[in-house]
Amino acid sequence: MDTVRSTTLSAENLSKSFSGTPLFDGVSFEAGTGLLAVAGPNGSGKTTLLKILAGLLSPTAGRVRVEQDGRALAGSEKRLAIGWAGPDLELYGELTGEENLRFFRKAAGLPAGDDAIRSRLADAGLSEAAAQRRVDAYSTGMRQRLRLAFALLFDPPVLVLDEPYSGLDVSGREVVRRVVTAARNRGAVVLASNDERDFESPDRRIELRGAGGGP
Amino acid sequence: MKALKLFLLPYLAAVVAAAFLWPEPAEGFIGQSSRIVFFHVPCAWTSTLAFLVAAAYSLAYLLRRNPWHDEIACAAVKLGLFFGILTLITGSLFASIMWGTWWNWDPRESSYLLLVFLYAAYLFLRAAIDDPARKARIAAVYALFAAVLMPFLVFVAPRVTASLHPQTVINPQGKILMDTPTRAVFFGALAGFSGLFLWMLSLEARTARLRRLGRRA
Amino acid sequence: MSFAARAWAVCAKDATEELRSRVATLAVLFFAATALALTAYSIGPFGLAEEDRPPLQAALFWIILFFAAATGLPRAFVREEETGTALALRKTLPGSLVLAGKALFNFGLFLAIAAVVVPGFLLLLDWKVTAPAALAAVVLFGGYGLSVVSTFLSALTARAGQRNVLFVLVAFPLVLPLLLTAISGTLAATRGADAWTPLRVLIAYDGAASCAAYLLAEAAWED
Repeated sequence: MDTVRSTTLSAENLSKSFSGTPLFDGVSFEAGTGLLAVAGPNGSGKTTLLKILAGLLSPTAGRVRVEQDGRALAGSEKRLAIGWAGPDLELYGELTGEENLRFFRKAAGLPAGDDAIRSRLADAGLSEAAAQRRVDAYSTGMRQRLRLAFALLFDPPVLVLDEPYSGLDVSGREVVRRVVTAARNRGAVVLASNDERDFESPDRRIELRGAGGGP
Repeated sequence: MKALKLFLLPYLAAVVAAAFLWPEPAEGFIGQSSRIVFFHVPCAWTSTLAFLVAAAYSLAYLLRRNPWHDEIACAAVKLGLFFGILTLITGSLFASIMWGTWWNWDPRESSYLLLVFLYAAYLFLRAAIDDPARKARIAAVYALFAAVLMPFLVFVAPRVTASLHPQTVINPQGKILMDTPTRAVFFGALAGFSGLFLWMLSLEARTARLRRLGRRA
Repeated sequence: MSFAARAWAVCAKDATEELRSRVATLAVLFFAATALALTAYSIGPFGLAEEDRPPLQAALFWIILFFAAATGLPRAFVREEETGTALALRKTLPGSLVLAGKALFNFGLFLAIAAVVVPGFLLLLDWKVTAPAALAAVVLFGGYGLSVVSTFLSALTARAGQRNVLFVLVAFPLVLPLLLTAISGTLAATRGADAWTPLRVLIAYDGAASCAAYLLAEAAWED
């Protein structure tokens, strides 16, 4: 049985400017378990903030820390400890869903056997038939499910999800709700959305105001 | 810098005067053409120095992410381009006198042309990127990558084939083949051009910083 | 899993994509074949004086290889940015791994080009090669250096404006010493002269470029 590890995601005075105009500044929080809701109007910087948390963008100032059992993670450990999915995440169209996930597992240096891949596809609600199809033939909903599977691929203790319910039917939304509920009990889930209904009893909340406004 | 500026004016004036009045023209050169060594080689040296300064400050930027380091690196490249073009012009003048042609694809000549292309490529790369942080980072990476490959450009290429270029300064014997007055003016010119480069670098970098701070205000 | 195995996974993924779409492969092979045909048609095996042939053939050989490669090699990172898959890669892998995998793929692409151009020169231009082993070594080391530098510069220019023109501008001064040395080595191989000196320079260039690319990969890759 795997030992349960305690992982904390913290942001210290994060700010981001593009060509001199600050999008947000002074964003700080510490999250161990539970749901952190990130809300704000369009263009307020929700996607940018989540990308910074996921390590995809560098902040203009401040830093993001991930600690596991009191030890700060860095490099590949930190990269794989945070699962991320967002609207501009695209996977390889010429490969099938299964091939995509297998590639990323292999390239990350992790076992990429059938079980490892199929269980994650199932968690994201993608059928085996769908997983064998090329991604460029996927519908909007299937792509969204594949994004969720990508976020869960490395069993991350921290999940950062940007508009995870977007484009999903009722069963798809139920899959995301189940994933978020399970993940928030184990570790931190950061969820950004334009729709208040997507936040189910958040434990913390960040409200971005956009163009120079802080939380 | 103010002290340097005030010192440079009379110093360089003295060097230019000495270049034309003091040492005798060297043997083996047509007419007064050997005097070009007091301008051509210092330009070439300054252009190379500029590249080394750019590489050093590019490394500093990648380690510290201080915009000031990026501004110095960019200023150094611009000056490297300027002195590199002067090197090519003075070299062409000499070539037209000595060999009757402005350009003959001599390996050492050609390697300096490529160095000028390298400076220009750095500036094109910066111009093609809008985001200031990304511009600075990518430019710094390019400068450092080019710094590693530059020895192949400047030192190896001229040695793979024979060259017409005089070997007064860089030669297989490792000696500077000049008499005392020529050597004195030559090193004086080297020091003067280096000082000129430092002063111009300071001006260019400070102007860039003022522009950046002005954009933020 | 070792670094090499992970880089191989990146290379295999690029190869799978390429085999299914054939975008880059067709473009580079078509360019190489067209350039070869034009050259063969205009100068042929008898269009030049005997003593002029070796240096011109050596230069043309590398000009065709370089420009064919320039059609396809820069797409290594550009395609990732255009299709939006760069984010997924950036989320999962360090820059050094992505660079190594893509450089490996690009080297494979270069070898595919060479596999067309070398026989083309031998058959259509009556190319006489006295030391085939030396020629093979020059093509391998020259191609490796070209692949590493092209892949690295593609990472730098992938998100810039005017990236096609920009790539050629930034690559030209860095790749020229490699090309000049490769031409010199090819000429030596065709004449049976000393190819070891240019080969040593190529190996040194390849080593320097590989180390620099590896050390700078993270800074080139991050955002």
